[in-house]
Amino acid sequence: MSHADARVGATNRDMLWLALIPSGLFIGLVWALSAIALPWQLQLDWVPSLGVGLDWYIDALSAQFLVLITGIGTMVFIYASGYMAHDANAGRFFLLLLLFMTAMVGVVSADHLLVLFLFWELTSLISFFLVGFKHTDEQARASARQALFITLGGGLALLAAFILLAQITGTWSLQAIVASGPELIEDPRLPAVLMLLFIGCFTKSAQFPFHFWLPNAMSAPTPASAYLHSATMVKLGIYLLARFDPAFNELLLWEVSLIGIGTITAVWAALLALRERDLKRILARSTVSALGTLVLLIGLPNEEAALAVIAFLFAHALYKAPLFFVAGNIDHATGTRSIDHLMGLRRQMPFTMVAAILASLSMAGLPLSFGYVAKDVVTTAKSGTDLLQIVSYGLLFVNSIAVAVAAVAAIRVFWGPANPAFARVREVSWRMLLPPLLIAIVGLEFELMPAFTDPLLVDAARVIAPAADIGDLSADHSIATFVTVAEVLVIGLVLFLFWEQLHRYLAGLARLDHYGCAALFERLLAGLTRVAAWHTKTLQHGNLSGYMRLTLVVLLLFGLGAWLAGDVDGSGLWASSWPAYEQGWALLAATVLISAGALAAPFVYGRLALLMVIGLVGYGSAVLFLFAGAPDVAFTQFMVETVLVVVAAAVLPHYGAPSRYPEPRLLNAAVAVAAGIATFILLAHMFSVPSDRSLAEWFATNSLPEAHGRNVVNVILVDFRALDTFGEIAVVAFSALAAWPLLRTMRKRRRTS
Amino acid sequence: MTSRSIMLEYVARSAYWLMLLASVWILLRGHNAPGGGFIAGLMAVAATALLAIVYDVDSARRRLPLQPLQLAVAGVLLALISGIPGVWDDNAFLTHQWWGIEVGNNVFKLSTVIIFDVGVFAAVWGAFATYLFALLDTQGEVT
Repeated sequence: MSHADARVGATNRDMLWLALIPSGLFIGLVWALSAIALPWQLQLDWVPSLGVGLDWYIDALSAQFLVLITGIGTMVFIYASGYMAHDANAGRFFLLLLLFMTAMVGVVSADHLLVLFLFWELTSLISFFLVGFKHTDEQARASARQALFITLGGGLALLAAFILLAQITGTWSLQAIVASGPELIEDPRLPAVLMLLFIGCFTKSAQFPFHFWLPNAMSAPTPASAYLHSATMVKLGIYLLARFDPAFNELLLWEVSLIGIGTITAVWAALLALRERDLKRILARSTVSALGTLVLLIGLPNEEAALAVIAFLFAHALYKAPLFFVAGNIDHATGTRSIDHLMGLRRQMPFTMVAAILASLSMAGLPLSFGYVAKDVVTTAKSGTDLLQIVSYGLLFVNSIAVAVAAVAAIRVFWGPANPAFARVREVSWRMLLPPLLIAIVGLEFELMPAFTDPLLVDAARVIAPAADIGDLSADHSIATFVTVAEVLVIGLVLFLFWEQLHRYLAGLARLDHYGCAALFERLLAGLTRVAAWHTKTLQHGNLSGYMRLTLVVLLLFGLGAWLAGDVDGSGLWASSWPAYEQGWALLAATVLISAGALAAPFVYGRLALLMVIGLVGYGSAVLFLFAGAPDVAFTQFMVETVLVVVAAAVLPHYGAPSRYPEPRLLNAAVAVAAGIATFILLAHMFSVPSDRSLAEWFATNSLPEAHGRNVVNVILVDFRALDTFGEIAVVAFSALAAWPLLRTMRKRRRTS
Repeated sequence: MTSRSIMLEYVARSAYWLMLLASVWILLRGHNAPGGGFIAGLMAVAATALLAIVYDVDSARRRLPLQPLQLAVAGVLLALISGIPGVWDDNAFLTHQWWGIEVGNNVFKLSTVIIFDVGVFAAVWGAFATYLFALLDTQGEVT
């Protein structure tokens, strides 16, 4: 939305009051944290018959996320009330934000895995709606679909992992499962569990090779990007991995996978950041890079890493959310996010600039910022293990890129010569300035006033590493740390100075667009529709006799398979005694009728004649039923056959010429004969097996005394099995309901033709 | 229809009511002798088909108690309702209830079973009449 658009049509209701909800939650949470000792537990019944309960368990790790969700949520609501002020769909946007907040609170508070999964998928779903919020934009729709497929698909893998975990440990409680670590590690199903868990967490937290959905998700309105795709939702994968870390920390597979994937993601995303021109996409790439770093930190086996994870996660939320707000402000005021055009905005947007600089200081990890503290503990964590050199260099590179990105956001956009196109650009309203300034200042403040956050963060770290001896979270202002920071700073600034050259080189690598993960994923989807099209064309060809042939052949093959596999015992087939019937002559006559009809069918060409011949088979069957002791069935058969033949005879002549499909008559004959033989064998076999008469006898004895009816068939239909009958008539009625419109369109088509 | 058969039309008019009467009889005797709602419903469909073919769809539709789809849905609802008294009595859904009413020396047995069976009857009649009309409606318009 351009600056000019933003001024017209202020007809929307002010949504600012909605910020009372997250802020109220935030204040309540802060009060509760100071008043009631963690952990908090609550158990409610939900589906007791399935053992699913609304079990909540909130420890320091959950509480840390809750603080982020409600705290940043408050700022997002204030910001969005300004950003969406002139959007006609603002109401829908706020509804989605509220739903999202609820879902997030649910995920981080749930103890029952199924409840957690439910909220987890809910966040993916709302992310889909928010990414596709500008649904008239085709790009936004494509991005939303991509995000949905990847995150929901990963969610399914996660569900599988949860089910396996519950099977192994016999409990659905997250706490109990993590506590039963040794038992888990010895189980042979563990590699499968871990793989599924990785897929679930890596898709959500945009790890390689699923990293591409997050930059594309920047189609969402900026408040949603700041909230979902930077501060909270994409950290859920990190949350879950951190939860499971105490159980699996010792595993080599866990360590190697997390460090490997984390490093690849961090480095790759940092490189790709250099290819982007869109400020929001640059920030998104650096978010992916930060997420990769977090995964890597969780994978580190030493216990100081726990504190590093927590501190870096918190710091990242505190600097990345304001930077997204800054990008949103610039977009809102100038109408563009391309860094090709953005420069010299310092005069027009001074407050936005201050917010950008404050947040960038933290992102670059300069002293006196919370980012510095985070950097410090990360450095400590790394030094505590014998990391591969390549991982260390990778991290150095990633941190340098972070510095360069921070410099782009704080320096490049605001300094330099003013762009004449932006002469009339004005600073945005206070609602869009307060949130980034406040969060960025808080980010700085935490280093200076650690009293509140320190205990919470240290407690959260103890959740991840229970055995660790974690002291406190004060930065070490030693020479060594300064040197590390300075090293990163210098490399980062050099990268920033050569940003254009690097960009030109990397953007020239067109192969990345053709063979990158995003392209492969899209090709996979396109392939899927091609397979579906081929499959539909091959199987759903609309030729009725083709369907019939296929169905029969498949059934025959299954039957043959069962026979060969030995599931069917054919030994007693011929030796059995055939049941004797009193009215043998009548049965014989019926059989002759049926056979005559069946034998005549292949040699009759007219459709009416064919109908009559087939009717003969039906009436023959009815006679058979009548004399085999099933008068009700016979009665029904007579009626069905009559109605069918009469109606078909009335309708058929009006349906044009017979089908012009060339019929493979020999094949048809072969299939028909085979099906006939198979049916005969099946029936003969049924006679050879002693049938269980207990049900029939029970119905016969109880029909009159229990249900006051002498006709057992009818009593079964309307009384003993009335629910089945009810289902059947409902199906009959609904089939008519469904067929009616179809047949009507056929009538219309015939009229027009 | 382009051609008419006077004889058939004359017979069909009375045969329709006879067949319906027969179907009701089959419906009512069904509990103790061959018959019941499903067979009776098919019998009624046959009667409706006779009218629809000999005259036309509209005159057959006019002689139905309701529009065919409404008849089908009403049948399902009737069957649903017949199961509710059982629930009131703390039994499972569709547990049928029986009441005897003495008139002189005879005891007339009433039960929710017959309501259920009438529901089946109406559902079958309505649903197949819907199919029938939709199919027959395509004819006559082919030029």
